[in-house]
Amino acid sequence: MENKPMKTDNLKKWDKTLASCIRCGYCFEHCPLSKYTNWESDNPRAKIIMAHGLLSGELEPSTYIAEKLFSCFFCKRCEAACSSGVELTQIFLDVRRDLLEAGFDVPGTTSITNDNCAACLICVKECPHEARSILNNVVVTDSVKCQSCGRCVEVCPAKAAHLGLDYGTSKNELNIEVSDYLKNNKNSKAIIFACNWSYFPDLQSSIIETSDNKNYKIIVNMCGGRLEKVTLLEPFLHNAQGVLVACCPDGDCEHNGSEAAKSNVLYIKNLLQSINMDPELIKLVQIKHGDKTGFQAEIDIFMEKILGNK
Amino acid sequence: MGQIDLLKLETIVGKNNVKADPADLYIYGSDSSVHTAMPWAVVRPENTEHVQGIVKYANSNKIPIITRGGGSGMCGQAVPVNGGIILDMKQMNRILEINMPDVYCRVEPGVVDDDLNMALKPYGVFFPPTPASSRIATIGGEIGNNASGVRSVKYGATRDAVLGMKVVMANGEVADFGAFTRVEASGYQMHKLIIGSEGTLGIVVEATLKFVPIPEFRCLGIANFDSIKDAGKAIGEIMASGANPSMLELVDSIAIKAVNKTMDLGLAEVDAALLYEADGMVVEAVDYEINKMQRICKKHNGKDLKASYDAAERAKIFMGRKKLFPALSKYDENLASTSLADDMAVPYSKMADMAAKIHEVAKKNDIVMTAYGHCGSGCMHTKILMDTNRKDQWASAKKAITEIYEYVRSVNGTTSAEHGIGISKAESFKIEKANSLDTLIKIKQALDPNNILNPGKMMQAAEDWVTATDLRYSIKS
Ligand SMILES: Cc1cc2nc3c(=O)[nH]c(=O)nc-3n(C[C@H](O)[C@H](O)[C@H](O)COP(=O)(O)OP(=O)(O)OC[C@H]3O[C@@H](n4cnc5c(N)ncnc54)[C@H](O)[C@@H]3O)c2cc1C
Repeated sequence: MENKPMKTDNLKKWDKTLASCIRCGYCFEHCPLSKYTNWESDNPRAKIIMAHGLLSGELEPSTYIAEKLFSCFFCKRCEAACSSGVELTQIFLDVRRDLLEAGFDVPGTTSITNDNCAACLICVKECPHEARSILNNVVVTDSVKCQSCGRCVEVCPAKAAHLGLDYGTSKNELNIEVSDYLKNNKNSKAIIFACNWSYFPDLQSSIIETSDNKNYKIIVNMCGGRLEKVTLLEPFLHNAQGVLVACCPDGDCEHNGSEAAKSNVLYIKNLLQSINMDPELIKLVQIKHGDKTGFQAEIDIFMEKILGNK
Repeated sequence: MGQIDLLKLETIVGKNNVKADPADLYIYGSDSSVHTAMPWAVVRPENTEHVQGIVKYANSNKIPIITRGGGSGMCGQAVPVNGGIILDMKQMNRILEINMPDVYCRVEPGVVDDDLNMALKPYGVFFPPTPASSRIATIGGEIGNNASGVRSVKYGATRDAVLGMKVVMANGEVADFGAFTRVEASGYQMHKLIIGSEGTLGIVVEATLKFVPIPEFRCLGIANFDSIKDAGKAIGEIMASGANPSMLELVDSIAIKAVNKTMDLGLAEVDAALLYEADGMVVEAVDYEINKMQRICKKHNGKDLKASYDAAERAKIFMGRKKLFPALSKYDENLASTSLADDMAVPYSKMADMAAKIHEVAKKNDIVMTAYGHCGSGCMHTKILMDTNRKDQWASAKKAITEIYEYVRSVNGTTSAEHGIGISKAESFKIEKANSLDTLIKIKQALDPNNILNPGKMMQAAEDWVTATDLRYSIKS
């Protein structure tokens, strides 16, 4: 499709809201994208600024802009942190509508399907956001509806679904983060996988140079259910003594992730047992939305247990 | 766009640390102020050598460099008025050392305030200047603006908490200022000069900060007043009495109404409320302070007095103040809350008159303004609520601001208490500092002869802030 001059039929209703954003930047505190790239351009405030630019005509639409605006995991932590009550994700969706209308159809973080697809339609049925459908025998994603939850990635038997851009949430990148950390921190004992929805640490992105008082690393992933078995095993391959996996309580996960997480953790437990290792070295905990104290208590109990095991 | 060699920048900091897409430039062109202007490139240094390389290149080519932390400044401090390179310091974000025996820590400038306090917490200490924006404000930005916050009444501002710093000067050389010790008697105390210089004298690449113990007890109280004048008298007497509040905040009737209108917190709709806090290691000492402040509030007709040590209860008492920003943004869907005339300081005895003046000026100029602030430090904040699409509202805002700062100066107040000068408060700053401006200009010239470090700010800012840059709103008629 050719790019057309951008009309802002969907965006224009947000004119006053865009002005009411005080641009304090509180929204990027917890944004997984901002944390990953640490560039201002990837944070929610930047998306609001771009929306304003497109609406006022000060910015020309471009593939680069579209890529930014089609990138979001919809955790909505920006909205929770917003000091002006701006419905950020609604604005992002309206910019997407206008960009699509103008011919800027880029994936960003939305899920895409490659040639391996056997059109089994499991993903279409499983998508909680009704974003996947079949068009001329090809599975397509509606990039306004898709919330990049990764459910399709998880259920696809042919491994044909993946997110366009994954901002560190893919299996490969998580594995690298795990192995790099354990290789460079020989005293570390455990990896804690923290689901972005159930828990997210307060820290923005500052780094404590001598983190010798911590013997574990919290790695935030997008959903407990999206941790593949190989990622759960990776820490053990680098001499970690334990893996703690956090996910949401039953019924809280919009993506059925808790069930998947439970089943994957059980699989690893059985595997550990089959090679005469203690299955308790991997543990699943279900954390209520934002329950930082509860999560820290679980981490402390787990660390005490695995260190006691030694 | 000015002459800039992107390849050269890439060789200094690496390809991954340079951005120049029009969208990036547009994004980095604004901060939390009303201003916007396009830079020519954005560069993200990872270490001191990177900063030195960029500064040397910029200095020899006379290219402006605008150092930026979280970009939460409210007066356009990080807006590139004359274009140039934005130096995004957020990648220099390591906490280098926490030295308990010597009671200091060393950090890179991109460390976020809340992150630092989180790292200090296990040691039972905290870094106290903490502005309300501590979740995004970087130590570099706090140094640039000499930030302070609700607890500065007891613990001081950033300038009181920095022992020393490593600075890349305009010629690209590194200078160490200050010391690792509590005292340093002689010399020009250059680190104190860099603090509050808004990135115009040097680029901080490392800071040595002191910290203080987290108190065992905190008690927060509230008192309502039917007359803001009475609240003002109470503030003056509390501060003159030798009381040592760890927080003393004023909220006016408009602020209370805004919070009630949008959040239904059920706050008593009085003319003003005072929030007072005391903290310490001994509960009797905290009680003593709280009782003293309550006695003074009562004497000046304060009512509905309550105070609590309980964290949940304290959060409830503080909720009205905390929810003020979102409340103002939602006050009226046609009005946006803008950071204009956002802060000032006046003597204690003038706090109530200052609030009254703000209300009077707002009414006269057909805009909505609220008055609140860290009155224990003499600091008053306000926001201008206006229809940002309407040209005439900008003219009214301009008039109101001029009148407000005329009043501030007339009562021996000062233009900025903590948010800085940047572009939008420069007019009043220049009038206030008329007889020292020449000295300030000479200092700037001596340290930055090519005027590359954040030009066009403070004493260099344009006379008229409205036309100094584009404004970040759609102004239609
Ligand atoms: C909602 C809100 C609430 C706020 N509350 C407060 C408050 O309570 N108290 C308060 O004081 N302020 C407050 N501010 C203003 C602002 O957040 C603070 O002053 C903060 O310290 C700025 O930090 P920053 O990292 O965002 O700096 P930036 O805005 O990025 O930069 C500020 C200035 O510092 C300079 N600078 C940045 N890094 C360096 C460096 N490494 N070396 C030299 N110069 C540098 C910049 O050039 C610029 O001039 C508030 C702002 C908002 C939006």
